[in-house]
Amino acid sequence: MTLPGRITVAELESALMITPEGDEPTPATSATAAAPVPERAVVAPATDGAAGEAGADEAGPAEAEATPPGEAELRSLFEEQALPFMDQLYAAAMRMTRNPADASDLVQETFVKAFAAFRQFQQGTNLKAWLYRIQTNTFINTYRKKQRDPYQGTIDELEDWQMGGAESATRTSGSTRSAEAEAIDHLPDSAVKDALQKVPEDFRMAVYFADVEGFSYQEIADIMKTPVGTVMSRLHRGRRLLRGLLADYARDRGIAVPAGTTTKGSKR
Amino acid sequence: MTDCGCDKTKAELEEYLHGELCREDAADIREHIANCADCAGERKVGEVLTEAVQRACRETAPEDLRSTVLARLRALQAQH
Repeated sequence: MTLPGRITVAELESALMITPEGDEPTPATSATAAAPVPERAVVAPATDGAAGEAGADEAGPAEAEATPPGEAELRSLFEEQALPFMDQLYAAAMRMTRNPADASDLVQETFVKAFAAFRQFQQGTNLKAWLYRIQTNTFINTYRKKQRDPYQGTIDELEDWQMGGAESATRTSGSTRSAEAEAIDHLPDSAVKDALQKVPEDFRMAVYFADVEGFSYQEIADIMKTPVGTVMSRLHRGRRLLRGLLADYARDRGIAVPAGTTTKGSKR
Repeated sequence: MTDCGCDKTKAELEEYLHGELCREDAADIREHIANCADCAGERKVGEVLTEAVQRACRETAPEDLRSTVLARLRALQAQH
């Protein structure tokens, strides 16, 4: 969340602040299937504290306790609450689409859909997870179709032999393990990104959601619409694959990972 | 516990690292790791892996994406 970004938001905000307040609320147009459908979220004047930050010259929030928020209020609430997740959504989109142009498009679509469905979002529930669910749906429904590479995501049934050395990466001895940790710790980000891109999509995203976003297994299950058991197995295998790929990378570059890391038997 | 705790730790290490275990199970594993260099090494690799992924995945959205999104939201609102 860069500071310049926020300033630009505020500037644009004041420059374009021409929408009338107190419109009749219109029902959200395209409710995504992902959105839980609670009763209309009562949007209390929660903009109070952050008003100075998002649009200083905006009039204080109307006392809209009983009436649903007008369009302008809804949009400023959305901008204030959802837009700060842009960097994170973009990072996830980069892992999904693997290129900046598609990632930008995906994030754009995600925000547009989320805004359209924002009245169904229940304030106080997990907005980040809700946005990720919309982004994941959008990716599956639109971008996956035009991926250059054939879809290689749902191979939960990936055979063990396909996991190659990665599977056995966990069977190393104590001394090689500390060398392995050391090596992973010093790999350049580009190497880790490359390795991630080689991990099948569903495994990769499970790793991303758990390790980068810190979502719980249940949250990931909701985002990926899959049982928790599947999340676990995707996460485990994704991380094992990644570990094997990183060990290979390090060894190829002559970084001291003993050859035993992926081949030697265990000592347990 | 019949074994020394390595089996349980290895089986549940990922869940331990991701905070998915109940307090008792997590305590068992923490205790075992404190006394087992082998499992401690395994945990270290797991932690370093997570950190490496976190570092590598950090991104900043392009500035023009921010303005494009804002413009589209306003356009959407104007339609209503």
